[in-house]
Amino acid sequence: MIEFKNVNKWFGKLHVLRDINLEVPAGEVLVICGPSGSGKSTLIRCINRLEKFQKGELYVDGQPLHDHSINLTKLRADIGFVFQQFHLYPHMTALQNVTLAPINVRKMNRDEAEELGRRMLARVGLSDKADAYPAQLSGGQQQRVAIARGLAMSPKIMLFDEPTSALDPEMIGEVLDVMIQLAEEGMTMCVVTHEMGFARQVAHRVIFMDEGQLVETGKPDAFFDNPETERAAQFISKILTH
Amino acid sequence: MIAEYASRLIQIIPFFLKGLLMTVVVSGISLVLSTALGFILGILRTGRSRLVSRSIGLYVDVMRGTPFVVQIFIVFFILPEWGLQLDALPAAILALTAMTSAFICEVVAGGIRAVPKGQWEAAAASGLNKFQQLKLVILPQAMRTILPPLVGQYVLMIKDSSVVSVIGVTELTRVGWQTVVRIPEGLMVFTLVGVLYFVICYPLIRLSNSLEQRLSQESVRL
Repeated sequence: MIEFKNVNKWFGKLHVLRDINLEVPAGEVLVICGPSGSGKSTLIRCINRLEKFQKGELYVDGQPLHDHSINLTKLRADIGFVFQQFHLYPHMTALQNVTLAPINVRKMNRDEAEELGRRMLARVGLSDKADAYPAQLSGGQQQRVAIARGLAMSPKIMLFDEPTSALDPEMIGEVLDVMIQLAEEGMTMCVVTHEMGFARQVAHRVIFMDEGQLVETGKPDAFFDNPETERAAQFISKILTH
Repeated sequence: MIAEYASRLIQIIPFFLKGLLMTVVVSGISLVLSTALGFILGILRTGRSRLVSRSIGLYVDVMRGTPFVVQIFIVFFILPEWGLQLDALPAAILALTAMTSAFICEVVAGGIRAVPKGQWEAAAASGLNKFQQLKLVILPQAMRTILPPLVGQYVLMIKDSSVVSVIGVTELTRVGWQTVVRIPEGLMVFTLVGVLYFVICYPLIRLSNSLEQRLSQESVRL
């Protein structure tokens, strides 16, 4: 479904992705962790080309992303992306946030889209918030609307960029529950997160990044309990004591 | 004395209303054109092309850095030498539009830049194309920032339209000049001119203020 081949990216002189090789088959739940500045966000932002990269090849759903002539809007329509800061559209209700892309990208008619939108909001447990504006919702609720917004496009892949990092602790659970449910339904997911519980429960694989490199890959339990590399061990001890 | 004043006033008022009408026509047409042009320029100014953005920036700086009376002289007296001969009215509209679109361009560009980058990213990530991102997500939010100063620009433009009297457009200010040389009540004449400008500008000033207030309250609610 996703295949990185020697992908390299620079921000000016800063080498943020170094020779990334990674394959994510359909249906896999992949957790990406690592210290801040390690390139993990950049990595998943490359998958829907929110970031360009300069060297290497990246195939997503059969499409070559290193080829700059591909139809980006078509590709992005099939990939859900959930941001750390939610980025809901503040001038629209929750329902309008969810139906905007189905109406304008999938060319669904309004009734159909609203029906779909309400179903998606119900799926994230927010049926009663359809007409609320983002500012009237808590952080956890906003992030669940953002997930519903992604799901409304029936994506083949869902990408999560630190989806719980901006949330108050008591709201993290409600967002993770939705993500766990998605994972159990077989969605292909790449999740940048430090939520070890989530990783242990549903991730098929954890990758650890540091300084733009993919340092270690493993099954979640093995990775967290017995990391192979010193850097990963240090990192895990830090998030444990945190 | 007062009766004399009043009768004089009644005598001259029809001319002034005609002048006012011309001011409204010149300003109104320029307002529509400069808004359209200003939005297009403002959107391109924030676009990805450096060359386009810088060229527009230069245009804006030139328009903002030169007096309007010079601009209108160039349009009316110099452009004919290059083959573009315009009557006074179209020349006035062209000059007002050129100047005001530059100001509106900056207002629009500022409004677009004030929308967080994440909004573009969220819209792009959901598969909307550039035009849809702008139309459905960015501009509706930018309008909050844009509207109050935009209406403010309209007020400035209506007042600047008095300058087009210098090329012979018989709008309100020119009617004032024409009248003041014929009758002795100079104070009355230009008070009347001022009052008539105020009559069209004041509602816009109020509109701008109330928009500012309403939109800032709304952003608190949202």
